[in-house]
Amino acid sequence: MSADAFFSLQNQSTTADYSGKVPVEHLDYDYIKKCKDVKYLEKILKVLRSGDEGIYPHLIKFCESHLETLDPRSRALRKDNPVATAASLSKDEWSQIFDGLKMWQEETKKTETSLKQQSMFDDPVKENMPPIRGSNCSVPVSQTSVPKEKRNSSKHTLPRDYREWDKFDVEKECERIDRNVVENDPPVIINTGHPKIKTKVDASLLTQQEKLLLANREKDKGNEAFRANDYEEAVAYYSRSLSIIPTVAAYNNRAQAEIKLKQWHSAMTDCQRVLKLEPGNMKGDYFLNSNKELKQLLSETEKKMMECHPEKQRKGKKILIQEIEEKDDHSNNETKAEQTACPVEPSQPVGGEESSAAPAERGDMGNAQKKPHGRGDGGPHSEFNNSHHGHWKSKGGSSDKYKVTQESKEKVTNGTSKRGSTASVQADQSGSGKGTSVGGNAGETVNLDAPCGALPPPLARLKNEGNLLFKNGQFADALEKYSQAIQGCTDSGIDSPEDLCILYSNRAACYLKDGNSQDCIQDCTKALELQPFSLKPLLRRAMAYESLERYRKAYVDYKTVLQIDISVQAAHDSVNRITRVLIEQDGTEWRKKLPDIPMVPLSAQQHRREQPPSAEVLQARAEKAARDAERKAEVRFASLKQEGNDFVKKGQYQDALGKYTECLKLKPEECPIYTNRALCYLKVERFTEAKQDCDAALKLEPTNKKAFYRRALANKGLKDYLACSSDLQEVLQLDPNVQEAEKELEEVTVLLRQSLVNANAPPAKPRKTVPITEVEGDEETTAVPNSDSSGRGEDVSINLQPAGAYEFGQALNAARCSGNMTACAELLASTKPEMLPQLLGTQLDGHNISVIMQALDSHLLEKDPNLVYQHLNHLHTADRFSVVLMLLDKDERRHMTQLFEHLSAVESMEFTKNDVQNLANKYI
Amino acid sequence: MSSPLSKPQIIAHIQKSLNYTVFDSKWIPCSAKFVCLGNFARGTGVMQIYEVQHGEAQLVKEVEKPKPIKCGTFGATSLQQRHIATGDFDGNLNIWNLEMPEVPVYTVKAHKEIVNSIDGVGGLGIGDGAPEIVTGSRDGTVKVWDPRQKDSPVANMEPMEGETKRDCWTVAFGHAFNDQDRCVCAGYDNGDIKLFDLRNMSLRWETNIKNGVCCVEFDRKDINMNKLVATSLEGKFHVFDMRTQHLTKGFASVSEKAHKSTIWQVRHLPQNRDIFMTAGGAGNLHLWKYEYPAQRSKKDSDGVDVGVAGSVNLLQNVTLSTQPIASLDWSPDKQGLCVCSGFDQSVRVLIVTKLNVA
Repeated sequence: MSADAFFSLQNQSTTADYSGKVPVEHLDYDYIKKCKDVKYLEKILKVLRSGDEGIYPHLIKFCESHLETLDPRSRALRKDNPVATAASLSKDEWSQIFDGLKMWQEETKKTETSLKQQSMFDDPVKENMPPIRGSNCSVPVSQTSVPKEKRNSSKHTLPRDYREWDKFDVEKECERIDRNVVENDPPVIINTGHPKIKTKVDASLLTQQEKLLLANREKDKGNEAFRANDYEEAVAYYSRSLSIIPTVAAYNNRAQAEIKLKQWHSAMTDCQRVLKLEPGNMKGDYFLNSNKELKQLLSETEKKMMECHPEKQRKGKKILIQEIEEKDDHSNNETKAEQTACPVEPSQPVGGEESSAAPAERGDMGNAQKKPHGRGDGGPHSEFNNSHHGHWKSKGGSSDKYKVTQESKEKVTNGTSKRGSTASVQADQSGSGKGTSVGGNAGETVNLDAPCGALPPPLARLKNEGNLLFKNGQFADALEKYSQAIQGCTDSGIDSPEDLCILYSNRAACYLKDGNSQDCIQDCTKALELQPFSLKPLLRRAMAYESLERYRKAYVDYKTVLQIDISVQAAHDSVNRITRVLIEQDGTEWRKKLPDIPMVPLSAQQHRREQPPSAEVLQARAEKAARDAERKAEVRFASLKQEGNDFVKKGQYQDALGKYTECLKLKPEECPIYTNRALCYLKVERFTEAKQDCDAALKLEPTNKKAFYRRALANKGLKDYLACSSDLQEVLQLDPNVQEAEKELEEVTVLLRQSLVNANAPPAKPRKTVPITEVEGDEETTAVPNSDSSGRGEDVSINLQPAGAYEFGQALNAARCSGNMTACAELLASTKPEMLPQLLGTQLDGHNISVIMQALDSHLLEKDPNLVYQHLNHLHTADRFSVVLMLLDKDERRHMTQLFEHLSAVESMEFTKNDVQNLANKYI
Repeated sequence: MSSPLSKPQIIAHIQKSLNYTVFDSKWIPCSAKFVCLGNFARGTGVMQIYEVQHGEAQLVKEVEKPKPIKCGTFGATSLQQRHIATGDFDGNLNIWNLEMPEVPVYTVKAHKEIVNSIDGVGGLGIGDGAPEIVTGSRDGTVKVWDPRQKDSPVANMEPMEGETKRDCWTVAFGHAFNDQDRCVCAGYDNGDIKLFDLRNMSLRWETNIKNGVCCVEFDRKDINMNKLVATSLEGKFHVFDMRTQHLTKGFASVSEKAHKSTIWQVRHLPQNRDIFMTAGGAGNLHLWKYEYPAQRSKKDSDGVDVGVAGSVNLLQNVTLSTQPIASLDWSPDKQGLCVCSGFDQSVRVLIVTKLNVA
């Protein structure tokens, strides 16, 4: 480059002169290469493209590519593209799109016909339609040319001078009030999305089809708001969607938005609902897990709340244990009640079910109220709640399980409220029906209240009503219901100690509330006779004893409670308190005066059936020690995991690796640890280990997305692109929304192609090429591992599989020659499916395939269809598979079809019929 | 965006040549059918229904009408009825039952001159509130109609006596997120954009983009107004962030010069409000994505909130024909499916892939 040009380059980099013509010497490779000024480059490109200075196609290209590196979004780079057609896509891609379209066409046809049918019967006129707008209002279209005075009704237009605005301020203010926009500055309107969006949609008049569409639409709007970081609006729209039809996706998304808004409680309840609707749901699980640390935070605050608790205790106030169990199992149909804050109608015919749900929900919300922000989501509660508002608020200071009740008396008098009377009417009705339907099954209420499963419906109803009344603070009424239920139970001779125990326990809670400690103790004792080592009756009895100042017995009960569940904070506190009292009373020898503390069997936590084996102290102690150790291990495990996670966050992957490895020593069955460690291995580029960890994780949890994804990355690191792409496809199959995986897949597909090209394999090109490559092209993503990558695969396999390809081949041959299918099946069973193609290596031939098929069919299919599926899923990726497939003879083909017929008849969680069908297409 | 694989692709799926000039094409909600509206050479109007089947568009029904039909919308009908509202060259607003398209279910002489643009809201579950249709005409008026009220509009936005009447080229509903709130945006041939608040029956905002406004559309009709795209005669389009309105500065906007010719249409993807397609006078389509700024509003020197515009990103562009693409409609049911018609007397069904990635 000339000095002159260099000078002008320097010159131009500071004060670029765009006005002049581009000097010819700037149309030069070196100059363009060094030029960093995007605008100037664009100009050069324009000159080059115009052809005024001659046409230099390569220079144009060079300039474009340089510009792209500097500013990929430069407008100069935009080119007119011809529209793509089906031919410009690969066959696979197009067929996928086309099939999707076809499926959609069929679906819409169905929807359409169903819509038409409905519209024939339905009256299209909707009564709830808003009225017609006030007739023919005229809005003046003021224009800039119009004198200003005329523009009164118009608010404002863009270019105005400031003086003019002075007189608009008042009007502006009024309008602002009209629009209810909360603002601090007058001259601005912000349309924040949420304030007036109704969170409930009245969909009662719509057909199912319309509801579905509408719910989806609202959800989409929520998604969009979420993407725009407008989380409150998103929550509002998700709530709308849920109020039409509750769906898993909407709950999941709302949970995510709530997490963003830090409304942990509502997020958690949403996650729980997701899991209830769809137990294996990953997202729900994931959110819930991410919520765990928040839970910790929460429990800390709860603990703090507890600290003020003993104080009140000494003042002679009673403790109430709220029903924990009922809170857990309320069904998910009350979601609307909470989210939309619509009042529960007291006259609902199914009062027992709906209404019991709402207060249960409120229990949850009560939980949230302790947090400063929790309040907002709760919204206005049912009318019922309002009448007891003071009561609920008073509980704000204590945890949700243990509530100080200062106003129990008041609440009892409240028992004559409207709700109470309707509830008791229902109770009477069900009570009269009791005689006839005793002994019937409890199908109706099972979903509402699982523990009363063995109770006949009238009794279950009684119990639910009791629970409801209890939660509303009408303890006397609740007491009556429980007594009726117990009476009914004993009358009908139902042999269900569990249910009876709960009834007694609940009644005891009522007694405790009313201050009737004696009866409470009696009921608790009965409950404990029915179900030894039930936590709640024990705790209640302990409290009752304590309130009667029978501290020794209270101490024993508390201690027993702690043996069952060490995490009951109230018991800890009480034990400490009582210890002090007893030391005061009896001096240092106080322990000797205690009655025997029954030893709780280990199984009590699950079953609580065995009698207290007070004699077997030694054995029990050993068990206790073992349990302590276990607990310690648990704690250590948790802390190690936490430390590991912290290291990961800080980027200290080596340290994290150590922590995770220790974790796994304590608990080798923890899937998340494996995936976490795999991540660390990935970060330190130890791909083989990462892959092993992922394999282990997948063994524990065969549908773990993370594991698949990380294994894909590991495989990518190992340059095994084929395995990588299949893993990524697995991820996308599990959850098509993982965008990283999609991106990764695209990258890997490119890499895979390159590697294939490098290995002199025919390049996998879309359809335009010769027909022979087309066959290969079809399999580009799944099959044809080149010799290169399989060779590398062997290196890895030596670590994993000591048998090796040679031995495997030997064994397979031996089995085949002897016709010993069992041996072959065993061999296959002991082989990892993903290793199969590598083990087969180049030895794959028709006989081998046939033997494998037969062995899978005759021996393995019955035992482990999933393994068969996995094997088949991997077998077709083996070398030479497509060639071998063509050379199969009739018999061998028959075996294959048989196998797939059998496989498709098998029901499994791991694969669907569609999967099998897809797989079969690859074979047959 | 580096890999070409991750870019959305616009694929021409079906192309159908027609024997008339087609002005508008609309998907029938909840179906694989679309309606084409146009003008026979002999000066009559035509309405055709096509069904997408086996990779072809098959004619299901054809009706001839006395006047050329300029525009149509399904926005104000229920999913069960799916009546189309059309505006014709004579200024009539008609609502047709597509099952029996011979006689309109509603008809009114809406304007003195051609109805240039029509939009509906309150139907299909889009937007709460009453079903309403807005029409914009060459006679300079914008009128809002309720199909339940015969003969007279429920709102009329016209210039005062003595003002020059501008040709209204485009109208759009928006802000219909509850029963009361609703806005109409209208674009005029002189570059005026006016936003009418139907709740207060007042002009809420106006601006001028210096060039004739060919098309305006809110990104969503049934949310608190979020974004408005206005396209212009000389190939520019403006995206307004409608969340923060400053008293003097109005709404923040970003403009982009994309096509070298008029941008006839803009349509937002029903499944993602931040993606939209513009159709140009040179027969090209551009697919855009709006990127929000980190903060959508900031305080100006007086401590008053001012909106901050984001940026637009070109996702894909293709050239379909040499003639302008006059209409474009995304399928509300199938993501990525759209129908467009141009002045080359043909209608095309396009598939846009990988819209999720974008």
